[in-house]
Amino acid sequence: MTIRKNIARYSLFVCLLFATSYAGIARAVEPYEIVTHPSVNEKTLSKSSLRAIFGMRLHAWPDGTAIRVFVMRDDAPLHASFSKEQLNVFPYQLRLAWDRLVFSGTGQAPDTVASPEEMLSKVASTPGAIGYLTKSKTDGRVNVPEIK
Amino acid sequence: MYLRSNNGMGKRAPWAASVFALSALVCSLSVQAQALSKLLQLPEMPKLPHNLQIHGFASQSWLMSSGNNNFFGPSSSGSGSFDFRELGLNASMRPLSRLQFSAQMLSRTAGQGSPGNVRLDYGFMDYTYFSGETSQLGIRLGRMKNPLGFYNDTRDVPFTRPSILLPQSIYFDRTRKLAIAADGVHLYGEYRSDLGDISFQAGVVRPLVRGDETEAAVFGGQRPGHLAPEISYVGRVNYELDGGRVRLAISATQLNVDYAPNSDNLLQAGSLRFTPLVFSAQYNAERWSITSEYALRHLQLNNFGAIRDMDYYGESYYFQGAYRFTPAWEGFVRYDVLLTDKDDPYGKKWVAENPRARTGLADTRFAKDMTVGLRWNVTPEFMLRVEYHHVNGNGWLSTLDNPNLNNHSRDVSQRWDLFSILGSYRF
Repeated sequence: MTIRKNIARYSLFVCLLFATSYAGIARAVEPYEIVTHPSVNEKTLSKSSLRAIFGMRLHAWPDGTAIRVFVMRDDAPLHASFSKEQLNVFPYQLRLAWDRLVFSGTGQAPDTVASPEEMLSKVASTPGAIGYLTKSKTDGRVNVPEIK
Repeated sequence: MYLRSNNGMGKRAPWAASVFALSALVCSLSVQAQALSKLLQLPEMPKLPHNLQIHGFASQSWLMSSGNNNFFGPSSSGSGSFDFRELGLNASMRPLSRLQFSAQMLSRTAGQGSPGNVRLDYGFMDYTYFSGETSQLGIRLGRMKNPLGFYNDTRDVPFTRPSILLPQSIYFDRTRKLAIAADGVHLYGEYRSDLGDISFQAGVVRPLVRGDETEAAVFGGQRPGHLAPEISYVGRVNYELDGGRVRLAISATQLNVDYAPNSDNLLQAGSLRFTPLVFSAQYNAERWSITSEYALRHLQLNNFGAIRDMDYYGESYYFQGAYRFTPAWEGFVRYDVLLTDKDDPYGKKWVAENPRARTGLADTRFAKDMTVGLRWNVTPEFMLRVEYHHVNGNGWLSTLDNPNLNNHSRDVSQRWDLFSILGSYRF
């Protein structure tokens, strides 16, 4: 009985340990915005549209222009914050959803950029593009729609 | 070559898909060469026209089992088995926002059942007839993966699987060709709202049934005649709440296959109908996921002559829990049960029907598999996995890897263990 109790206590301790270390990984990131190519006319985007767009299931803007999605790498802190706060999903879920589309042929993966600078230049130069960027890196070359 | 090995695709199925696949493959080889020289810059791909995307994966496993129970090659031998290898290369192109072409070539080595020949895994045209902010409706033509449960669509891609081996009760590797893909037409649709997203796929298709694997699964060995696909139906409805926190699915499939006896003087022109119904559920939290699937498999065999007419329900289910210690380390536990005939869970009635031939073989009618495993994402592109299975029963062992499985000179054990390691790269 005591042994069992001890094992339970030990497991609880290990779980707590992992939980705290995990919280440490999800460090805060600078404020960021959703950015689009200047030709994208949407002033506001609904959360569900945003999720469909980044889930690679909505392929065109209302005017028919093809949507081009840009994301950071899965392990980028900004990507994790954006996924959780704006889409309400975890990066591993997004990756699995994209993999299911790509490897069954029923969809495509978003384009991955390596840095905020590349995000800005790709979104600013690709018609129909959407991405996310820290506020301090954003400039007038991209639109910033409001998320409702 | 893959045309011949897969169901005479060239004869009746859309030839356009295979032409596209070939050109995609040729095109992809040069692109891949470029990609390799830029290995350090991956995953950034070279700029490709028309939203052309090239992706692929390569994996190699090693399996070691106890007793004489062989799974995917001579796994019970002293050095284990390296006969489990998966290579895939796909291309997709979206010339219009409503139109996509996709194809994947696959080479899979998995013991005697899959010799590793390159074949067309899927190749189809996808046209979105209607697409709005909250809904869409479209059609696919060509060879599509069958929508069956959570994992069938991408079952050969290690990164999309929860483990090295999928739960064998539902995703039998023994009968994979019958279930994996089919030629025909699919309709699909989706409706998104605050109450969740509902989507469906439904198709009329001809299954892929040529090859030793399917014959071995149906007859327990090779016959002089051949199996011929008939019109079959596939369908799945998915529900996702909150971007996939909760995922539910129901899949229903009816596969019809006829037997042409040719010079077979034992079996007559019989027919087989396989009707699996799969219920799937998953909950995803940040650190952990739980998944369960239940399948009721209705099998009917009629008019084969020497094989008595059969009509029974098999039952399969598993429970699986996964825990992400960190984004790079994930562990899982699973309990997986296969009952070939749910009204005869231990094969007793089956033995009683023909005691002389079947005594001692009851363990081929079920399998209970307890599995634990660990996954390490070394980089986003490279993954290592280990897992350990303790299995009671031989219900999903293949007669191709275990030729004596169904006779009295067998040397397999009812309780056995399987250990496996896998390395997989993707781009």
